[in-house]
Amino acid sequence: MTDTKESSHPNHQASGTGRPADLDAWWNAIDEELAEIPANPERIFQPLQSSGGFSDAYRVRMTSIDNYPIAAWLTIPTGEGPFSAVVTVPNYASVVTPAHYDFRQRFVTMTMMTRGQRGADKPYAAAFPGHLTNGISSPDTYVFRGVMADMLRAYEVLAALPEVDQDRIGIIGTDAGLLLAARRPGAKAVQVTAGFWYRLAELVASTEAYPFEEINDYLRAYPDDREAVGRTLAYLDPRHQSGRITTTIQINRDPDSAVANDAWLAPLVAEIKSEVTYYDIEHRGQADHDANDAWLSQQLGVQPAPRQWEPQETGPWS
Amino acid sequence: MTTRGRADQHQSSVIRPPDFDQFWNQVAAELDSIPLDPEMMPAPMRSTDEVEVFEIHYTSLDNIRIAGWYCRPRESYITGPYPGLSIVPGYVSEPTLPKSWAKMGYAAVGVAPRGKLRSNSQFNPGYPGLLIDRIVDRNTYSYRGFYADAVRAIDFLLTRDEVIPDRIGVHGSSQGGALTIVTAALRPDNITCGAAGAPYLTGYMDSAALTHSYPYEEMNEYFNLYPERREQARQELAYFDCLNLAAWVKAPMLIYAGLNDDVCPPETAFALKDALPGEVTLNTTERCGHDAGNYWQMRHVEDFLAQHLQPAKVDLRAQTTVG
Repeated sequence: MTDTKESSHPNHQASGTGRPADLDAWWNAIDEELAEIPANPERIFQPLQSSGGFSDAYRVRMTSIDNYPIAAWLTIPTGEGPFSAVVTVPNYASVVTPAHYDFRQRFVTMTMMTRGQRGADKPYAAAFPGHLTNGISSPDTYVFRGVMADMLRAYEVLAALPEVDQDRIGIIGTDAGLLLAARRPGAKAVQVTAGFWYRLAELVASTEAYPFEEINDYLRAYPDDREAVGRTLAYLDPRHQSGRITTTIQINRDPDSAVANDAWLAPLVAEIKSEVTYYDIEHRGQADHDANDAWLSQQLGVQPAPRQWEPQETGPWS
Repeated sequence: MTTRGRADQHQSSVIRPPDFDQFWNQVAAELDSIPLDPEMMPAPMRSTDEVEVFEIHYTSLDNIRIAGWYCRPRESYITGPYPGLSIVPGYVSEPTLPKSWAKMGYAAVGVAPRGKLRSNSQFNPGYPGLLIDRIVDRNTYSYRGFYADAVRAIDFLLTRDEVIPDRIGVHGSSQGGALTIVTAALRPDNITCGAAGAPYLTGYMDSAALTHSYPYEEMNEYFNLYPERREQARQELAYFDCLNLAAWVKAPMLIYAGLNDDVCPPETAFALKDALPGEVTLNTTERCGHDAGNYWQMRHVEDFLAQHLQPAKVDLRAQTTVG
């Protein structure tokens, strides 16, 4: 998560962040719309990304709500499955790449291209900045209603694959993974490497860092929408659905950050009934990666793949 | 834990083509023949009481129209003129909106080279894709134009009356680190200093041999399918290798890298330090990967840039930018 700073937007904090009374109905409506639209997944083999010989790579096209065509990178290890699987929740950027080499060797992997991102940018090509506030004045017009539906749809497609061991699916990425686990129970583990949607309305008041600054930009232009923005974001705040989560969870925590420490995260985990483990990040990227990988690998029953190495005085280099 | 030779002992395989200078002189001549035709449109939604934000466009190589963001302090906040700063993007990162740098007192541009959003209507190889697009032909290789687009951001800054022309710096990480070197090399008389994190496009072939992480893995995948093109690609990529461009850099440079970087191997950061002829500092951080020790290094980057460029507000911090 971003470091905090003294708020320079005292008049711009979005309010109205309590649990919406119709939260469940709002999410149920997404489920109902998805249920009416067949995914019709279409795998398209990717020779380049399959050339390593250890996994087959595909672009998977599928249909989400509004009959929107979304996509995903899908890789499947060669050999006899079924395999553990790791799905990465949507990132906030236009580019979505296949999963890392060492993930592709050990897991079925999926990285999602939700509406607006490259690979799913027709008819809607998201602008950065801009995507985060598209339709934000209402939960029913907010583009991320569709993005969340896309996330659920992509996960459904992954979970239905015969190559996937249904009992060993991991979800990684931002706290959107908690929303996914809440709405689609059954994953073995969720690893939250960074916050995004949790208490977002409060978070934006304490930072000028993009992408969160997009919301500050919007509130500066439309100050009368403060309450509406806060209300919209509440529908996507994972704390309001944490009681539904039954999956084992690891959350990256930063004790030095006011928006990623114990106190900040406490309301999020208070309602979660399953096991929650914190990993205190060191801000050393590879050390943090290896710790995260060790936990995830243990949960999913595979060998870890640490990326740190020890230097030796003379070669060889591999 | 696996072992590997010490990064500072790795021997680079990069060779400088005999017609390297001629190639880039031709690119420069071609670029110089194309009018910049800069355009600025206010972006009031992104602007604040302290910083004005503009969406900019200019013409680059192949007459491709390039977009960017330009952020400058308001006169009411900091009186001009201002030192200039080019913030150059990573490989998959969205183009930078350098508002926080402007708040520190820089007239800052965040360029979107061809293929990035808003600069992708005429050229769009995609991701994965950019790194290997026409990798067998230096005259049509993706980075020929991409490098020119980044360099032209300096030309844009030089058109601005509010920019101090002899105080312009450049900063970026990963591909941004490479573009920092490229910009300083191809505009050696206009760049005062550069800060390059985890430099990419530095020892292309060595890097692809040292890692299986994207984006260099794009090269490995390409050579898996087309092994017969490896040597030709090696020859062509040498024209774009920062280890060869480094010889033209005059400005002081700060490089920072993670000693366990699996994306841009640290071996190439050490090679880059050796290749730069002028004043250069290399900061490395243990147990860090492609983050390059950013958590600690950003303060050094800000101080380094401030030392050379002297912005008005040295007590402020840079913030994360888009993407």
